[in-house]
Amino acid sequence: MRRYSAPLVFLLPATLLIVLFFVAPAVTTLYLSLTDISTITFRHPSWIGLGNYYSLLRDPFIGRILLNTAHYVGFTLLFNVGMGLLLALLTSSVRERYGNQIRAVWLLPRILPPVVYVLIWQGLSREAPYGLISDLLGTSRNWITAQPWNVIVLANGLVGASFGMLLFTSAIRAIPQDLFFAAAVDGATTGQTVRRVVLPLLRWPILFVTAYQTLSLLTSFEYILLLTNGGPGFYTTTVWSLHAYQSALSNYFGNVQFGLGAAMAAVLVVIGIAVSLFYLRIFNFRALVGEPKVEIN
Amino acid sequence: MPLLPPRWRLLFLVVAALSLPVIAGIVWLFLTGSFDEVHGLVPTGPLALKRWRFLWESIGNRPPIHVPLLNSMVFSVVVSVVVVTVASMAAYAISRLSFPGRSMYLGLVLMLHAFPAVSLIIAIFYILRLLGLFDTLTGVILVKASLDLPLGIWLMKGFFDSLSWEMEMAALVDGMSRWTLFWKIALPLVRPGVLALGTFSLLSAWGEFILPFTLIVSTRSWTMALYLQSFIGEVFTDYRVAAAVGLFYALPVIVLFLLGQRYLLNVYSGGVKG
Amino acid sequence: MKGISVRLEGLTKHFGKVVALQALDLDIRAGEMVAFLGPSGCGKTTTLLMIAGIYQSTAGQIYFNERRVDHLHPRDRDVGMVFQSYALYPHLILFENIAFPLRLKRTPQAEIEQKVRQAADLLGIGHVLDRRPAQVSGGQQQRAALARALIKEPQVLLLDEPLSNLDAQIRLQARGEIRRLQQQIGVTSILVTHDQAEALAMADRIAVFSMGKLQQLATTDDLYLRPANVFVARFVGHPPMNLLEGGFENGHFTMGTLSIPVPSGHLKGGGSLGIRPEDATLDGEVPARVVVIEPLGRETLVTLRLGEMDFKVLADQAARPTLGTEVRLGYRRDRVHLFDQAGKRVAP
Ligand SMILES: Nc1ncnc2c1ncn2[C@@H]1O[C@H](COP(=O)(O)OP(=O)(O)OP(=O)(O)O)[C@@H](O)[C@H]1O
Ligand SMILES: [Mg+2]
Repeated sequence: MRRYSAPLVFLLPATLLIVLFFVAPAVTTLYLSLTDISTITFRHPSWIGLGNYYSLLRDPFIGRILLNTAHYVGFTLLFNVGMGLLLALLTSSVRERYGNQIRAVWLLPRILPPVVYVLIWQGLSREAPYGLISDLLGTSRNWITAQPWNVIVLANGLVGASFGMLLFTSAIRAIPQDLFFAAAVDGATTGQTVRRVVLPLLRWPILFVTAYQTLSLLTSFEYILLLTNGGPGFYTTTVWSLHAYQSALSNYFGNVQFGLGAAMAAVLVVIGIAVSLFYLRIFNFRALVGEPKVEIN
Repeated sequence: MPLLPPRWRLLFLVVAALSLPVIAGIVWLFLTGSFDEVHGLVPTGPLALKRWRFLWESIGNRPPIHVPLLNSMVFSVVVSVVVVTVASMAAYAISRLSFPGRSMYLGLVLMLHAFPAVSLIIAIFYILRLLGLFDTLTGVILVKASLDLPLGIWLMKGFFDSLSWEMEMAALVDGMSRWTLFWKIALPLVRPGVLALGTFSLLSAWGEFILPFTLIVSTRSWTMALYLQSFIGEVFTDYRVAAAVGLFYALPVIVLFLLGQRYLLNVYSGGVKG
Repeated sequence: MKGISVRLEGLTKHFGKVVALQALDLDIRAGEMVAFLGPSGCGKTTTLLMIAGIYQSTAGQIYFNERRVDHLHPRDRDVGMVFQSYALYPHLILFENIAFPLRLKRTPQAEIEQKVRQAADLLGIGHVLDRRPAQVSGGQQQRAALARALIKEPQVLLLDEPLSNLDAQIRLQARGEIRRLQQQIGVTSILVTHDQAEALAMADRIAVFSMGKLQQLATTDDLYLRPANVFVARFVGHPPMNLLEGGFENGHFTMGTLSIPVPSGHLKGGGSLGIRPEDATLDGEVPARVVVIEPLGRETLVTLRLGEMDFKVLADQAARPTLGTEVRLGYRRDRVHLFDQAGKRVAP
């Protein structure tokens, strides 16, 4: 097959890495979720079928965790999309230079290393006289312990808002100027222009950002891990993905239940695959692959 | 863009105000990293450089700073180089070569681009142990590079798509193989894409926390993220030292931000996800 | 360097359901320049790219001299090609663009220097070699592309509309230059063009294409004097030939009430008769009305109404008729073209 040696060479490294760290882990997750693998049985796990899934259902804290997850995803999503939209609208209404500067500032939380970002939150949330939040609110508290959910949603939101902001901004820029003139000629107020012209045109970007962020919020736990590690107290801010991670990998209880964690992760993997397949469908990606104009390799 | 009439421009103040927390955070980092005592954002103590002693001595049983620093540099540079090279090669093949299963490959890439890779962390832990790559920098590098690949391939494919076919034909007629064509013609011409993807993966690897946190145990393989985390993970965090370490760790990013805002904005709006 | 002959046998190309080229047989002699002429989308570029090896043929063979080449990679075919967009490498200076094929062959640096300078001086771009393509004019880009194609002394030179992006004046100049250069080095060449004046002026022979098929391969004179079919008759020559559709009977061509004696008495059945505007006159005997007059400077293009159709006559400026008047159409008897029902030339 000399003909296909070029594509083979070009695709080999990527394929290898994808198989090793996407395909194999997805399969492994499903496999491990059907075994009793733990610290003790790590070398010789035995098959227990759906055992892990049954114990998940029987877990007395599962309701709490589901509720937490809904809380976390719901509120963060609301903040991300709402704030992203607000920022996009506002920054594209002021002079381009200022708009860019403000957008750039909102990029900072995203490019800052997460550990540094969390350190800053911790510093700002300390008791008086150190913490800025205590200072401003006039109540001396450790706000991470006092209001863990608000801090988590805000910390995630400040990072996540920039995603929507950038996408919505380019969508707003793509709206033909004539539409605004036409709306103005028709006597629309600014509020009406935004509601009747801009928002309907942003329908797809909003849907995209919402769907995309739902999926990534559902599986992300980095900031919660660093901010509260699921606390304070028992499962106060533990979400599904964090619980999976801790069951499988944190040494809280010495003997980690790898299989149980894998079962929780498997649920996320299946949801992830389903949703990303759905993306593929609505994307109509076949339009994106034109035939190559050179037929030899 | 005359979306809002002038009187609404007062709203500029609103956005500016909304952005204050972000700026306050950075200011806090600088102040707490430099002054002996800071209340809110007001330094009340003298300038104190004592907390920067982590630069020349080991703190507690942590490794000396040059170990995580070097590891982080190696980690992010190698990840970035691997992502750019491997993604560009695959993207070139998808965009320019004819082979069966081409659109299926692109479909897979697109799907993985949307797929949340963190959900695989448990299995990746397991696989790295099987491969004997657990607790090695090589292992984390491979994992991090792989997870950034779908995004990279997707991004680079867009850039290769815009290259002229006639030029590609001319190169072939001139006597080039696809391999030389890729390195000598195609890759130099998508330099903006290479730079964007390179910057993105460099920053993303520099900040990466979960992967090293999960896949690395020994302090000799620590990255800066783990080093800093060891300070804030303590029962009683010494914020003065932590802020100094954090500032040190974040400084390259902040400098890059100050020098290349426009550029970063382009990188992150140009289809690079977060 | 001596050119080689290029032979295409039954060359066919399908793109999915589209038939871009159908069973093309073509023989190009060593050292000859052949022009491919035809309307847009008729398969000229496709043929060129198959000869270069960029496209793979669906069926048929390509021979360079007696060597079959259609399974070879472009780099093993030894062809040079100039593209419509020139396809210079934007990130390299002109010198490196031209030197590229030599670098790939690992030619010694001194030889590269010498050859590039020589080619550049020959084409008059020696003073811009250190600039990038975007920093030179279109004409200079075109020359650089030509130099790049010629530098490796190819056996076959392929030119895909090399002049179509130039303005009229430079185009005329470049025409002559390319032709002179080609004859000087004697490389077998194929020139694709839309512009028949260009084809007529530059090529030894012209291949006229339509709808993926070769219509005729002939010298300029033959094409003009003996078009092989109605398509060629209409396509070559400006203004185009008048074609009257009717029938042959008893040594006459009849169309409606019109009856014209033709030299070949044996013809029967439907067909058409062609007369070029320059072979027609206004002092004959067929009555017709003047409907349009277009002064062209030296001559005047007169459109007549003849029965159901328009008939164009290229008349002397002095003999310009008045609009709306009746004139008497005449023609040179030795210059009528006869075609049968299928459009094929039958006589003379
Ligand atoms: N890569 C391709 N994929 C599909 N169809 C193609 C491709 N290249 C050419 N075609 C089709 O084949 C036919 C011949 O195209 P070709 O480019 O050879 O025409 P051409 O004679 O060079 O026209 P032009 O004078 O406009 O350059 C056209 O119908 C065209 O649409
Ligand atoms: Mg063409």
